[in-house]
Amino acid sequence: MLADYGYIGLLLIVAILFTVSMPLLALSLSFLGIIPRKSNPDKTSTYECGMETIGKTWVQFNFRYYLYAIIFVALDVLTVFLYPWAVNLKELGLLGLISVAVFFAILVVGYIYAWRKGALEWK
Amino acid sequence: MIVSELHLMTPELSLLGFALVVILLDLFIKQKKVLAGVSIAGLIVSAGFTLAMWGAPTIDIFYAMLAVDRFALFFKFLLLAAAGLIILASQDYVSKFERFQGEYYALVLISAVGMMLLTAAADLISIYVALELSGISLYVLASFLKDQKSTEAGLKYLLLGAVASAVLLYGMALVFGLTGKTCLLCIADVVETMPIAGLLDNPALLLGIILLAAGFGFKIACVPFQMWVPDVYEGAPTPITAYLSVASKAAGFAVIVRVFFVALGAPSWLSIDWGILFAILSAITMTLGNVVAIVQTNIKRMLGYSSIAQAGYLMVGLATVGVAVGADALGRSGLLFFLMSYAVTNLGAFIAVIAISNKIDSDLIGDYTGMGKRAPLLAVALTLCLVSLIGLPPTAGLIAKIYIFNAAVHHGLLWLVIVAVINSCISAYYYLRVVKVMWLGAPVSEEKVPSSWALRASLSLCCLGVLLLGVIPGSFVGMAEAAVRIFGS
Repeated sequence: MLADYGYIGLLLIVAILFTVSMPLLALSLSFLGIIPRKSNPDKTSTYECGMETIGKTWVQFNFRYYLYAIIFVALDVLTVFLYPWAVNLKELGLLGLISVAVFFAILVVGYIYAWRKGALEWK
Repeated sequence: MIVSELHLMTPELSLLGFALVVILLDLFIKQKKVLAGVSIAGLIVSAGFTLAMWGAPTIDIFYAMLAVDRFALFFKFLLLAAAGLIILASQDYVSKFERFQGEYYALVLISAVGMMLLTAAADLISIYVALELSGISLYVLASFLKDQKSTEAGLKYLLLGAVASAVLLYGMALVFGLTGKTCLLCIADVVETMPIAGLLDNPALLLGIILLAAGFGFKIACVPFQMWVPDVYEGAPTPITAYLSVASKAAGFAVIVRVFFVALGAPSWLSIDWGILFAILSAITMTLGNVVAIVQTNIKRMLGYSSIAQAGYLMVGLATVGVAVGADALGRSGLLFFLMSYAVTNLGAFIAVIAISNKIDSDLIGDYTGMGKRAPLLAVALTLCLVSLIGLPPTAGLIAKIYIFNAAVHHGLLWLVIVAVINSCISAYYYLRVVKVMWLGAPVSEEKVPSSWALRASLSLCCLGVLLLGVIPGSFVGMAEAAVRIFGS
């Protein structure tokens, strides 16, 4: 029992030593001049590769997208269940049809609710 | 075949159907009172199905995911009754969220479905799903008033509830990792055959049990997982506070009894170990609840701390179940009877608070001054419920306490009962302070306190329950004993 904890202790010691020694190594190497310091614009840019962002990154989206996103997720889940059912339509038979119909009906209630409450209006 | 088992789920399915109907009706009709009627009808139909199944033999359905037994049916009936009383009592309150009444009733029904499933769940996975179903509906309901306090209540409940769920999942993962099974009976089989040793030599099981107790402890609000209670109880709409303190707590106790007794009750050393764990938590819970309740000035906060203390008394029963090691059903039936009496008593107290606070627009105990003259009937009802919470005759609280403490003494938990009795004496102080303010204080105005017939009906049902359970407890005790007979023996 205690020996098992000993292994964990060993790993802990290695982890601490590693995290402490790596920055120290980097610092001492640059102090000794082994690591060259040559700066250029490419190195200091945000992304060394890839596209530069155009415009501000704090773009605001209309919050109505959020309602659409939520309804989309609900219908997306419906699709996830409809596909496997459709593929196995024959084997699942009437029972499968009824199960999917019940599931569909519950989702439709949610959809009607969102509709009547005006979640789909873009005012 | 699974389809043929669906008819054993009719209480939940019918209630879910009514919840959907409520959502749809809300969209197309103007008269919102109809929604309350439909909800009540749904609860009655569901209760009818539950009653019809009472005599049926115990059976596990959906590959042992759910158990259909008297224990579950008893709790389902209790939860349905609580939800019905809450909906009746909400009639004076719903004007505060005029626009969202349909959602309110539907969420109350859906959380009731979740809790009913929770009491029947016989598999770690179905327990978790049911817990989340009831939990998520309650998080929304707690923030229903949309003012600052209510939003704070909802957010706190959500965040702490999520943490508790995570802890519970860790516990389940450990138990599953140790036993390789998720169904409670299968876990029991594996745990039973474990080599005889203490829990300390089995750290995985020890940690699993502690994490499970922590996750469920959040639901029943025992120390040290009670920190959400005062804030959530104060901020949430009062009917929801009552619902949380009664239904959510009852479901929590049901699932604890099932998990710990069915899955982890078999080797006696294990059972005694978690029995002692709950005994210690119980002593701390009731002491903290009662002592902190003394300094509260807001009646909802005070009832919140009082419900923590009551959870402490209930855990005396839980500890007895563990220490008694199986066979003996007395401890458990004491627990069920206590839950019954606690449900009617606490609901009654909260319903009276709804009526009074609605008129005076304040939850401060000081503002209840002179209520005995302004609203004598409400004051009498509130007094009766508070007296029952103390545990004085001729009320349900007395019989419940005698019953549960008697079982505890019988199984060698005398020290815990002494702590509990001292606590009951402490609790008399703050309960009676409300009574004193109501009857001896001078009224600030002569205005009467109006209330709807629905609220009065639910309040009188609660008071009737308090008196019936207190004066002729016999048949109710028989019901509670029948409910636990499915376990052990």
